[in-house]
Amino acid sequence: MANKKDAGNAPAANGNGKWNIPTGRRTDEWSEALVLIGESQDRGAFTRFFRHFAPLIKAFALSGSSLSATHADELVQEVMLKVWQKAGGFNPEKAAASTWVYTIARNCRTDMFRRLQKFDTPLASDDFELESEEEESFVVLHTRRGAERVRELMGDLPPDQAQILAKVYMEGKSHSEAAAELDLPLGTVKSRVRLAIQKLQGLMEA
Amino acid sequence: MAHHHPPMDLLIEYAAGALPVAQSACVAAHLSYCQHCRQLVEKLEDVGGAHLERLDPQPVGDSVLEAVMARLDDPEPLRYAPNEVSDTQLPGLLDRLINGNYADLVWKRVTQSLSISYLKTGDPNHEFALYRIAEGGRIPEHTHGGSEMTLVLRGGFADESGEYHQGDFLVREGWDKHTPVALEGEECICLAVLDAPLRFTRLRHRWLNPLLKLRAG
Repeated sequence: MANKKDAGNAPAANGNGKWNIPTGRRTDEWSEALVLIGESQDRGAFTRFFRHFAPLIKAFALSGSSLSATHADELVQEVMLKVWQKAGGFNPEKAAASTWVYTIARNCRTDMFRRLQKFDTPLASDDFELESEEEESFVVLHTRRGAERVRELMGDLPPDQAQILAKVYMEGKSHSEAAAELDLPLGTVKSRVRLAIQKLQGLMEA
Repeated sequence: MAHHHPPMDLLIEYAAGALPVAQSACVAAHLSYCQHCRQLVEKLEDVGGAHLERLDPQPVGDSVLEAVMARLDDPEPLRYAPNEVSDTQLPGLLDRLINGNYADLVWKRVTQSLSISYLKTGDPNHEFALYRIAEGGRIPEHTHGGSEMTLVLRGGFADESGEYHQGDFLVREGWDKHTPVALEGEECICLAVLDAPLRFTRLRHRWLNPLLKLRAG
């Protein structure tokens, strides 16, 4: 853990003279692909990105069998098209590629749910994106390392907490919906989610 | 800078895309005032990204890739452009809901110092409204049968538990009674999101309660 601090910046030489590979390397590969897509509309990078993320987006769409297979494929298309259109706005210093894709998938799914339910709202999920982002550069690396750390810690969550967290994040269930489905008191769901988040993000209070 | 923030539960549900549209819009409007919560939400979204990476990949046919590749050169869909002359100084999302036209809002006068303007979010279970309280004006003591989110947009108010200024976010549940009073010097404008109607508790205001029936949608 001692040299974890530098992991987000550049490979650092350790005592043996070998390079430590930053733990976020996989993420970095996809961040680089996104930058290529954004800067030079690189279709090769986009295809690689698609092959990695499309099956995950499809799994996301199908979690909790919330969407049919046809709608899941439709969601994959919409999300990947947004990836192509928005890649220019991706800032690799600020967010991990997986987090960035997650937010797009989450928004597209919300819009798709509303469309399928003929829910008439003047607000599209894109309207929720925030305008003010300039003054935030000083927290940047903190955020990206946070993503790497969350991934490392997820495997250590007790199953009851992991299950609820997945329900909330992957199925988009509110705490009360999760409580009803799991037949648990709302207070139990809330405290398990909160405990899980605290474990994943001890850095949250920092 | 805001001093009262949404509880963590609500931010988690926001980051997970699990909130109804009216509540989600209210949280988003708070975020536009509050860097602290913006950073927290980014961290909470990392949890979503990490989950995504750990899902069991599901096969996607080549036809889906081909369909996407064929659409890459399509023009991007038009997005709402903020009204250039908008001087509402409201969070962008609210500006969008009122089309940048604050002056055209229809206000319904409830008491001498309270007017309400209902906005349409399409949310079938929540009322989404702007409350305008005259400077120093008082909202009669009331309770809620459900939950109320309040975000201060302009000016400020005080109630039994504290003083609230621009960007501050409050959640009230159930039957807490409170009597908000706008601060002196400026009218106070708040966004309120309710899932049950406000009820005035004092005898001399109760006759107004039928006026306050929930206007969701």
